[in-house]
Parts: sequence; C-alpha cells; structure tokens
Amino acid sequence: MNAIWLVILPILGAFLLPLVYRQNTRVGTWIGPFILGLSLILAFGLWGDIAANGVQTILMGGFPAPVGIVFYVDHLALLFVIMLVLGTLVLWLGKEKGNIQEETLLLLIVAGGSGLVLSGDLFNIYVFYEIVAVASYGLAASRGSYAASLRFLILGALGSSLLLLGIALIYAITGTLNLAHLATHPEILQGTVGLTAFALILIGLGVKAELFPVNTWVPEVYTTASARISALLGGLISKMALLVILRLLVLLYDTSAAHLLLLTLGVLGVITGELAAMRATHLRQVLAYSSIGQLGLVAIAFSIPGPAGIIAGIALALHHALVKPALFMLTKAWGKQLSHLAGASQSLLTTILFLVLALSLIGIPPLPGFWAKFLLLKGALATNIAAYQMVITVVLIATVIETIYFMRIVRVMFNTKPPPIKAPALQELVPALVFVTLLFISVLNLGTIGKSLEIVATSAADKSIYMNFLPL
Amino acid sequence: MTLLSGLIFTIGLGLLLIVVIKSLIFEQVLTGGIGSIILEQAPNDVGTANIVSSVLLAYRGLDTLGELTVLFVAATAVGLVLGQPRPDAPRDPDAGFILRSAADLLFPFMIILGAYIILHGHLTPGGGFQGGAILAAAFFIPILASPSSPLNHKVSSLVEGLAGSAFILIGLLALFDKGYFLAPLLGTGEVGELFSAGSLPLLYLAVGLKVGAELAGLLARLHETEV
Repeated sequence: MNAIWLVILPILGAFLLPLVYRQNTRVGTWIGPFILGLSLILAFGLWGDIAANGVQTILMGGFPAPVGIVFYVDHLALLFVIMLVLGTLVLWLGKEKGNIQEETLLLLIVAGGSGLVLSGDLFNIYVFYEIVAVASYGLAASRGSYAASLRFLILGALGSSLLLLGIALIYAITGTLNLAHLATHPEILQGTVGLTAFALILIGLGVKAELFPVNTWVPEVYTTASARISALLGGLISKMALLVILRLLVLLYDTSAAHLLLLTLGVLGVITGELAAMRATHLRQVLAYSSIGQLGLVAIAFSIPGPAGIIAGIALALHHALVKPALFMLTKAWGKQLSHLAGASQSLLTTILFLVLALSLIGIPPLPGFWAKFLLLKGALATNIAAYQMVITVVLIATVIETIYFMRIVRVMFNTKPPPIKAPALQELVPALVFVTLLFISVLNLGTIGKSLEIVATSAADKSIYMNFLPL
Repeated sequence: MTLLSGLIFTIGLGLLLIVVIKSLIFEQVLTGGIGSIILEQAPNDVGTANIVSSVLLAYRGLDTLGELTVLFVAATAVGLVLGQPRPDAPRDPDAGFILRSAADLLFPFMIILGAYIILHGHLTPGGGFQGGAILAAAFFIPILASPSSPLNHKVSSLVEGLAGSAFILIGLLALFDKGYFLAPLLGTGEVGELFSAGSLPLLYLAVGLKVGAELAGLLARLHETEV
C-alpha cells in the first residue's frame, strides 16, 4: 500500500470530474463521495500497516532522500488525513448535487490537505499549501460573496509569499529542503536567519491556521460563505496548517525562542478571539471568533515541548473538528442576527444538538471538550516554565468568556415572546447529527482514544525516528 | 483618512520586512547541498541535456504535478466566480480583413513554435508550461480577431482532463513498474537526442497540452463573460 494514492486519487478524480459530468450526470454526482470513501478505506488500511510494521517513507520517483521528494507516513499524519477525508465526506451528506466546480474544488482541497501533512519536503509542502489556499479562495466565493473572498485572496497571497520567502531563506543557508536532512543540522537554523525564516513561515501558514495577526479574513468569510464551506475551512483545513507548524517545531526548531513565539501568537489568538466573540451580534460571527480562540488553544498546546503538548493539541484539534463543523451546519437556517434566534427552542432536536455542542466546546465534564482542555492544562503544568504556568490563567478566563457568550445565545433561544423562527430542514441536520454521534462514541471510548493518542504523540515527538529514514 | 493610514502602515510593514531581511547575516552556510548532487548525477540518472527539466520532471516531478493542479484549481475557481456565459449576450463585431488574415496566418506558426518548445523541453530551455502558454495564445488570437466564432469548450476541457490524467497515469505506470510514483521510465537514451530521457518528454507533452487547453479555455471564458 502506498500513501501517494491518498493524494493522487482526489487529483485524478478532480481532473476527470468535468468530463464524466458531461457524459452522465448521475455517475458524476457519485464520483466525489466514491473517491473520498476509497481514500478513507486506504487510510485505515495504512493505519493498520503502520501499527504492524512501523513508520513508512515513500520516495517520489525513486530518488533517495535529500535529493528527491519524500512522503513521511506516520500515525499523526494519517490521523489528520482521516480527519480531513471523513469530515469532508460527512459534510458531503445532504449537499445539493450537480455543482461541478464546487465538487472539483472540494476534491482538490482534500488532495492538497493530505499532501500538506504527509510531505517531508519544504517546497513540496509549499506546493500543497498553495493548492489548499487557491481552492479555499474559490470555495469562499462560491455563494457570491466576492468582496470577502477578494480580501481573503489578498491576505492569503501575502501569506503564501512570506511562506515561500521563509523556505527560500532556509534553502539559502542550508542548501537542502528535506525535513529529515535539515533535522540533522539543527544548530544552523537556530541563528538569526533560521529564526527569521521560522517567523515568516509561521505568518504564512498562520493565514490558514487562523493565527493571531493574520486571521482578519475569518469572521468575514465564515459569515458570507455557505455553512458547509465555513465548516470545512474552520473545522478541518485550519488544522492541516497547524500540523505542519508542529512538524517544523519538533524537527527543526526545538528551541525555546520558537516555542515562545508560537505560544505568544496562540495566547493573543485566544484572548482576541474570545473577547471578539462576546461582542459579536451574528451567530456565524460568534462561531468564527470562537474558532480563532479554539485554534489559539491548539497553537498553545503545540508550543508545549514534548509529547504532553502534542497529545493535548491533537485532542483539542480532533474535538474542534467534530464540534465546529456541526455548529456551522446548525446555522444554515439560523444564520442571522442573534436576536432573530428568539424562540428557536421550538425545534427540540436542533436545540438539544446546539446545547450538547456548545457545552462540549466550553468543556463541561462528561463531554470530550473537558478532557481536551484538561490535557492542555496538565501539559502546561508539567513543563515547569513560568510562561506556560501563566497560560493556565488565560485558558480558564477564556472558558469563562465562552460560557458567557454561549449561555447568552441559549437564553435568547428559549425566549418565546416573539413568533418562533423556522426550524432547519432535517436534510441540513444530517451532517451535524453524524458529528454529534461521533462525539458521543468518543465519550464512551475516551480511555482507549487517550491511550492510542499517547502512542501517536510519543512517536511524533521523537525526531530520531524521522531521521532514521535518511540514507546518508 | 483610513485609506491613508492603511497605506502608511503597509509601507512601514514592507520597510520593516526589507530591513529585517537585509540585516540578516548569512555566515553558517552548509556546503554540499542538494544542488551540487543534482548537477553531478542528472545526466547519468535522467539523461536530459537541460538540467532544469530533470529537476522539474524527475527529481521534483510531484511538485510539477502540484503546480499543474494549482493552475487547474485557479481555473476552476475563476470558472466558479464567472459562472456561465449568457448565450443571448451581444458580441463584438469581427475585426477587419487584415487582422483576420494575420490571425489565420499566425495560427499554424504559433502551433509549430509551441509544439517545438514542448517537445524540446528536455534539450533546450523551455518545456511544457512555456510551450503550453504559446499554444493557448495560438487559439486565443483568432478569438480576438473574430469574436463571433467562439472556442469549442467541449474539446478544450476534454484535452485538458485527458492530458492531466495522462501525467498521473504515466506516474502510476512507474509505480507499478518500478515501485516509485513518477520514476523515469524507458531508460535514458543518448543525451542530447530528440528521443532521449525516457518518459520525460511524454510528461512534458502532457503538461503542455494541459496548460495550453486550460489557458485557452480560461481566456475564452473571460472573453465570453465580458460581453
């Protein structure tokens, strides 16, 4: 089994999709789900393969490591691929059929996201990032929200060029792009040039990862794009960029300066995101700002050195990837000012879903959100570094603010004075229901998931496993 | 006022970036990077006279597939934004006799030039992307000269889809034959000959056809929605 299929299949499907649609529309509508399903099966097969035989590297074109491109397939990367493919497949449920261009872009964004986390080569990462970025500009504009999408495009293009500049700086001082090869000479990258390159890469990847200074596109795009696209970009794609940042941190920048830079951006993201969410008057905007806050939490977790931080980061990312898309899907009929939500509690199913999701996002004990935040606090406490101890305060304050704004929404929903609003159609609720089901399944298996996450994180935090595959 | 302050802020940010980059000290440079290895090995490993092509198609073939995909993503996104052209929209009248004849005369020469650049990509500077752009121009000039005879989008998207799939299929053939995606096939041949460098010219042909069909379709789509 070769992990290249995870990238090639969606690209091939996207190339052929317009041709198939012209021949037979009925077959065309099934191509997207079919390819995503096939990728999912492949990814699960690979997961078993790696559990049995250890981490794999795949050489492109058969050229050995520093010269050719390498894919590095471990459990962490596969976990994020499965999350992306499964999430996109669930969001496909109940989607209106026959929008060829949107389906093509969805397949391509999955291909780009999978390549982004699997690739072990800096320039290759840039190429896949570019695929993801351009596809998301197109998807953001798919409902006629051209102004928001254009501003997103300008910011994203600036970010991509800074990312390329950072990669060019690394290539200029080291003469190589292979991550494992770079990891053998970490001291070169820890000078001024290397750290500048890291800062530029952080800003570049930060556009997709919704990091603090470059996330101004988030509220605007998530409010105007369709619910499914907002769910995809906020819930799934943003984590792919964060995973690349984590890889760079573990392999190339295992220094306190780089860790503290990511920590600072994460803390600023949490504070600004949550405070803005409290002031927001539009349900979609609240969710968008809360997504900035949650991704800030993931960034904080990833900045904690060692496996404890990685476990917390994965748990937060997986939890957010289940909850935020589901919440976005609920807003399809409710996507208006908060005051319009009065009487929304008339539709019982939707109300229960919203309550469960909001409580899990806040972190109320039996739900997985509590467990994820608890892991973050545990990891931060275990470091014995003053900066991380301070972070605990930030996380707890953020939780209080989250409680305030979600409970305010719930209070409006139970207000029955004005005439009740229309309940969302059941077809719209299907993805949300699937996500909540997955959430409940994960509550029941929290112990098993915790153990396997620990194994995933320990192997990801050990850079000698990664470097062993370099035939030098 | 807001515009002005935004402008000043942007200029300041740009200056800051320039100063940061300029004040960097490039001293600890790791020698023996991958560039020198490729220069040494490429003629024997891949067999192209043009080393750049060996990097583009052999050593970093996946990046080229990625760039091809970026172009496809951009074209699809533009198509999504522009939407379908209205069939009843008024069209510009045809240009005069001189322009139309010149467009007709240019057409075969541009096709030959484009094909030459694509097919000699592994020998001389040029290749699929450059040749493809010339092919696209060859099909677009007649549209500019006589807007009433539009491009056949069915043919262009057929060529585009099949050429893109051909690139991937060649890669997959290598995966089944040699065990590596996009590994060079068919041996290297004699360096400098037209039929050399194995499957690389075929990959360049696929790139050229895809880029040509894509850009031609995109320009025609822009032209059609403009009227």
